[in-house]
Amino acid sequence: MARVTFREDRCKGCGLCIQVCPKQIIRENREKINAHGYFPAEVVEMDKCIGCAFCATICPDCVIKVEK
Amino acid sequence: MGEKLLMKGNEVIAEAAIRAGCRHYFGYPITPQTEIAHYMAKKMPKVGGVFLQAESEVAAINMVYGAASAGKRVMTSSSSPGISLKQEGISYASGAQLPAVVVNIMRGGPGLGGIQPSQSDYFQATKGGGHGDYRMIVLAPSSVQEMYELTVDAFNLADTYRMLAMILGDGILGQMMEVVKFRDEEPIVQADKSWATNGHGMKREHNVITSIHLDPAVLEQWNRGLQEKYRIISEKEQRYELYHCDDAEIIIVAYGSVARIVKNVIKVAEEEGIKVGLLRPITLWPFPTKAFEQVIDKPRAFLTVEMSSGQMLEDVMLAVGGRKPVYFTGRMGGMIPQVDDIMAKIREIRAN
Repeated sequence: MARVTFREDRCKGCGLCIQVCPKQIIRENREKINAHGYFPAEVVEMDKCIGCAFCATICPDCVIKVEK
Repeated sequence: MGEKLLMKGNEVIAEAAIRAGCRHYFGYPITPQTEIAHYMAKKMPKVGGVFLQAESEVAAINMVYGAASAGKRVMTSSSSPGISLKQEGISYASGAQLPAVVVNIMRGGPGLGGIQPSQSDYFQATKGGGHGDYRMIVLAPSSVQEMYELTVDAFNLADTYRMLAMILGDGILGQMMEVVKFRDEEPIVQADKSWATNGHGMKREHNVITSIHLDPAVLEQWNRGLQEKYRIISEKEQRYELYHCDDAEIIIVAYGSVARIVKNVIKVAEEEGIKVGLLRPITLWPFPTKAFEQVIDKPRAFLTVEMSSGQMLEDVMLAVGGRKPVYFTGRMGGMIPQVDDIMAKIREIRAN
């Protein structure tokens, strides 16, 4: 069981994490706007996360933390 | 050996400015360029410079006017709506022949628009968003490396010609992280600034910096001087990149981040057996008409791709002058043209 947390206010909505997630469980949250004004990324089905940390590795803005 | 770093486009512009000798920065935050101000706030005090967050964009551009009048290298930056606010100051500084660098990291408009990347301030930048017969040198980087090099060049060009130079980027470039290789030493042009209002110490006549000339004959003469300068710049300073144009059937004209997408289009088209080239203006003003003269005989058509409704398109049509058909495709409002969209347009042109 892995846990992913986002420092949402640093997210610029580039979508790189969405592209690399092998489980396709990250999406752009269009209901929320962060401090910069972007739609931040979020994990929708946390129980499907395998803790590979691809998302955290590719994130250019150090937004994502993966714990397992 | 130059230092090699992974940096965000906005930060690189700020770093380049400091390396180019800019010690005065006045700005006001706006996404997607705020990192320029962040970086300046952190670095300027360390190099003995001034970072000041003004109370508004209007205040910031007028502080630029002041520092430039004193002969100092100065910069301000903003994004589209903020650049609209700066237009009065831009016109005044252009009228007073002041050298300074203005950065516009464009976002979707009109109005407050959005915060996603756009190229819809092309008209404003190249045709004069403020009043009067003035021009700015407009440089359009298409990579983080170029954001560095062109920012240094912008300061040199501004000083050489005593006028404003603009870096016209977009939200993609500003937010994008890429490797940038810095030079050990910057090629800094030491221009004559004997016109500056930096204190005469009772040793010379005082200098006057102004854009007001109430005698129309004098004002016309002043304007003639400006136009002569602009003519020389149009002749000497056009910059562009020609990529795979030699045997191209269709030449795409695109600048900034869109030119990057077009380079991918060229690869995809090649796999389909279609030869596509790229003409990338680096100076948007002066518009690189010389590039068109080099390649005009080659393609069957030109295709302009922009993140706007087709603004540079007008300059492309003027440069082509009816000698070849000119097509357009683009996205607006912060949407980014995809390789597939551009390929579809290429197939459509070939089917005609």
